[in-house]
Amino acid sequence: MLSIKNLQVAIEGKDILRGLNLDIGAGEVHAIMGPNGSGKSTLSHALAGRDGYQVTGGEVLFDGRDLLALEPEQRAHLGVFLGMQYPVELPGVNNMMFMRESLNAIRRARGEEELDAVAFMTRVRDKARLVDLDEKLLKRNVNAGFSGGEKKRNEILQMAMLEPKLAILDETDSGLDIDALRVIAGGVNALRSPERSIILITHYQRLLDYIEPDFVHVMVGGRIVRSGDKSLALELEEKGYGWIEEEAA
Amino acid sequence: MSPTPDTVDELIRSGYQHGFVTEIESDTVPAGLSEDTIRMISLKKQEPDWMLEWRLKAYRHWLTLEEPEWAHVQHPPIDFQAISYYSAPKKKGDGPKSLDEVDPQLLDAYNKLGIPLDEQKALAGVAVDAVFDSVSVATTFRKNLAEAGVIFCAMSEAVREHPELVQKYLGSVVPHTDNYFACLNSAVFTDGTFVFIPRGVRCPMELSTYFRINEAKTGQFERTLIVAEEGSHVSYLEGCTAPMRDENQLHAAVVELIALEDARIKYSTVQNWYPGDEQGRGGIYNFVTKRGDCRGDRSHISWTQVETGSAITWKYPSCILRGNDSVGEFYSVAVTRGMQQADTGTKMIHLGRNTRSTIVSKGISAGQGQNTYRGLVRMAQRAENARNHSQCDSLLIGDRCGAHTFPYIEVRNPTAKVEHEATTSKISEDQLFYCRQRGLSEENAVSMIVNGFCKEVFNELPMEFAVEAQKLLNITLEGAVG
Amino acid sequence: MMTADLQRSWVEQLISDANAGLPGQDLAWLDSARADARQAVAELPLPNRKQESWRYSAVESLLKNSFRPAPDDVSELQALDLQNWLLPAYEAYRLVFANGHFVPQLSSGALLPAGVTLGNLRTALAGDSEWLARWFGQTANHTEHLFTALNTALANDGALIHIAAGVEVDRPIEVVYLSLGQETAALVQPRNLVVLEAGAKATLVERFIGSGEAGYFNNNLTEIALRDGASLAHYRVQDESRNAWHLSSLYLAQDRDSRYLGTTLAFGAGWARTDYNTRFSDQGAACELNGLYTAGDRQVTDFHVNVQHSVPGCASRERFKGILFGKGRAVFDGRILVDKQAQHTDAHLTNDNLMLTRDAEVDTKPQLEIYADDVKCSHGTTVGQLDPEQVFYLRSRGIAVDAARKMLCLGFAGEIIDTVELQPLREYAAGRLADTLNAAVVEE
Ligand SMILES: Nc1ncnc2c1ncn2[C@@H]1O[C@H](COP(=O)(O)OP(=O)(O)O)[C@@H](O)[C@H]1O
Ligand SMILES: [Mg+2]
Repeated sequence: MLSIKNLQVAIEGKDILRGLNLDIGAGEVHAIMGPNGSGKSTLSHALAGRDGYQVTGGEVLFDGRDLLALEPEQRAHLGVFLGMQYPVELPGVNNMMFMRESLNAIRRARGEEELDAVAFMTRVRDKARLVDLDEKLLKRNVNAGFSGGEKKRNEILQMAMLEPKLAILDETDSGLDIDALRVIAGGVNALRSPERSIILITHYQRLLDYIEPDFVHVMVGGRIVRSGDKSLALELEEKGYGWIEEEAA
Repeated sequence: MSPTPDTVDELIRSGYQHGFVTEIESDTVPAGLSEDTIRMISLKKQEPDWMLEWRLKAYRHWLTLEEPEWAHVQHPPIDFQAISYYSAPKKKGDGPKSLDEVDPQLLDAYNKLGIPLDEQKALAGVAVDAVFDSVSVATTFRKNLAEAGVIFCAMSEAVREHPELVQKYLGSVVPHTDNYFACLNSAVFTDGTFVFIPRGVRCPMELSTYFRINEAKTGQFERTLIVAEEGSHVSYLEGCTAPMRDENQLHAAVVELIALEDARIKYSTVQNWYPGDEQGRGGIYNFVTKRGDCRGDRSHISWTQVETGSAITWKYPSCILRGNDSVGEFYSVAVTRGMQQADTGTKMIHLGRNTRSTIVSKGISAGQGQNTYRGLVRMAQRAENARNHSQCDSLLIGDRCGAHTFPYIEVRNPTAKVEHEATTSKISEDQLFYCRQRGLSEENAVSMIVNGFCKEVFNELPMEFAVEAQKLLNITLEGAVG
Repeated sequence: MMTADLQRSWVEQLISDANAGLPGQDLAWLDSARADARQAVAELPLPNRKQESWRYSAVESLLKNSFRPAPDDVSELQALDLQNWLLPAYEAYRLVFANGHFVPQLSSGALLPAGVTLGNLRTALAGDSEWLARWFGQTANHTEHLFTALNTALANDGALIHIAAGVEVDRPIEVVYLSLGQETAALVQPRNLVVLEAGAKATLVERFIGSGEAGYFNNNLTEIALRDGASLAHYRVQDESRNAWHLSSLYLAQDRDSRYLGTTLAFGAGWARTDYNTRFSDQGAACELNGLYTAGDRQVTDFHVNVQHSVPGCASRERFKGILFGKGRAVFDGRILVDKQAQHTDAHLTNDNLMLTRDAEVDTKPQLEIYADDVKCSHGTTVGQLDPEQVFYLRSRGIAVDAARKMLCLGFAGEIIDTVELQPLREYAAGRLADTLNAAVVEE
């Protein structure tokens, strides 16, 4: 479904991703771990098409299409969802209205019919329950004044609403207490399906206790330096990143 | 992907939707200004002598004044002799007694603007006074209003029919000595709306005036007077449009509001005068004096404005908070693009005890637009426990525009409290990306973010118009980005 | 004659009387600067309320005094006199001016570290004035400001400070301006120049001290040039006599990556105004301006801050706080201008005022003028009294109402006083403020 070959990305002329390879099949869950600054968020932004991330080499195919040639919203229309490490606040923009615009923009792009108000409301309510998000937050402005945990839930809610084909969750677990973590994991697991692939970027093994990955990768210095199954995450938990960094150096 | 100067150009070019001209025979006096012009206007309006004298006094004072030069507003000198001070669609007979007598072409013009004057088709619960160039051509729902005791009519009619009220209140908030353009208006004003809400009455419908400048080389000098007696409530809205013309046209209005004890006046403006083309050719000079007098205790005056049009906007809807516990509010969205200049804000003059004022100003500058907030908050010596909070935010789109904030704060009472904040920002790349990641087009994302920026103000508009205002903003910003 | 004419003739008289005594008349560069300034004095209108920069600053009381230049003779001044004014536990390189004239016997002459030049204008003009010629009048704007023009036209004496490239001065440099026993309406016009070459670092303290009831006018002007990477901490304490007029005009030119931290503490004078003007020549420069002012007892205190961002990537922070009591009046006018090309500017200004009494008055006017889109700019202003809830809270803990109010005022001012990094000076300022507040609370 997603095939990343020798991806190189620079920010303001500084090379961050230095030849990254990754293949993700339909229905797979991949965890990416790695020390701070290794380029995990850069990868997620580059996949979503954030301005300012210059692709200096390599290619990314998504269902056989050249993902890098597309605008961010076109990627979203194809089903790429990025749950951000730091979700942005949109003052004055109503959360519900935003999700409806977003959902319908994607449906329109796919030639599907827009959801009417009633169908939309039903869906939001369902999904909000799934991530245990207080309905009051739906009426507030997007992420404005939300706590860290509320922002993350709101991201998962949007993911649930949009039912993406590829969900990239960038440190969705950071800063969450154990209950919130369970809820988020529950939301993600509910979305697992044979058609949907998930990239989990995380620092913590504990998330992987709840969402069992098919593969675990370690990123160091803008490359994936080691891949394995979930036991690799346990090993990392025990030994830290030092030994891999040394090996990679 | 952020709004680059190129894409902002497109924004600037997005069309003005109300630029059509109505071909209608009109009675337009030759250009020029003198005592004779004023006598002629007064005669055409069949005014009593006192009104003519009032005008002449203002005119004689105006002759002694010099046109002001404003620090942040630039325009070529105005030739006051090149303007025609009166233009009215030719009337069949003595002026419309009922809607059936209104020229169908006029009705059609208003239909095109989305303001059906036919009461059956009109927006439910909104009465309209339609002012076309210098005259009021129709006023709807008068019967219903009269039953409630509300007077809602053209100013010229009020001068004839309710002289005691007009004499008592006209010029009592904005005297002719107030400023250059208010003085000119006092001399030559042609029409406008008069509203009187008697004691204890809640006006049963929204009142509105729709101003249309149609004729070339004319100025529009309307005069609006709203009096809310003790305990009464009224919500009033004005809208403004004009054809696209190469010349600059002057619109110098005066609006006076008077709120007696426990009265509430809500005054909303959606101003969409023709802004001129992208080179800055044409467009309306909108030089307006608006002031509300909270005369009675616990009275409340609220100004809400959405200013998207005009080549130059110069207006400071203000509140004199005379009554104890009176409240003044100012909510403003001003958008400038192309070569537009807006210099707008408010004055909150706190005289009474426990008076409160709130100022929320949102300025959006795009293209080469210049947007200035200018405001005064004065806490007089006896304004015990008075409070003001002001928030002025500017949003810049592109790097050729400007956003300026000039608040003046004068405090003479230690128990008064004033807080003022101002910020300047652009639409952040992060916000844009976030929206696009969720599948929204860039254009949609911009309009959503801008609407969010203005939300506090739109929330203050009467429901029917909040939607209109949002649409107008979207049209104004159409093509803002690639 | 009309008042305005009288005032005009005062200015003209000053100019025409001046020539004889002025130093450096043989220097062409100085002569032409003075000539320009004289011309400006003749052409500039006298300040009045119709001018935006004098809108709230009642200047009439100043203009009607016909101040005359102070006589030169300060020879009777003894080291002992100075002791009264010095701060304890405080080592500094010092320049002392009395009634506008340099007092060598009270100033530190020798023993300066290499690369540090301290001197006075009058002496320097008589000797090697090469670097002076390069900097004098370069940052001050005498074509727009009358009092700047007046200072320039009559430039007579003042402090000169030059720090060579890369030199970090080991002690603060202190300039003391004493105004002593002046019976007549005397005019003193210190003309100062501070230049820090690339990478130099220094702390400068200026103290304005007036004794007794003297009703003089101190129209001082300081030009400050910070070259690439230079860094200056500049603390000013204005403690003029209660009948004095005081106008400080500061002109600051900052080059790439330079740092300026300025704090003015304004306690004294009957009428005082401080004008800060900042310009940046290149990116990476940062300017922080702080001010604390108190005014009571019919005092008028006024700050004008004008920060111009005309190049990209510079930062400025302006924080000003005032406490008003009695019939005290405060004026604040703070302008941030961001030119079109000054992208990535970061500029924030705040002005907060506490009014303790009925007859106090505040006029404040923060301004943003922004022509670039990718900037972070804001301003905020508050005017109010002490929070009754806070006062109540303290009282409920057994603190007397006066003490509670004083405590809250000190807390309010603390943010500014704490920007003074020299401990003795900080303590002096806190004490000085406490004294002022004692008097204020009593007065109330
Ligand atoms: N906008 C940016 N400008 C410059 N450098 C950046 C920017 N964003 C990220 N970087 C740098 O790229 C590297 C990788 O960052 P990131 O992808 O956020 O790492 P991770 O998510 O793995 O912690 C870091 O060295 C970071 O400093
Ligand atoms: Mg990261």
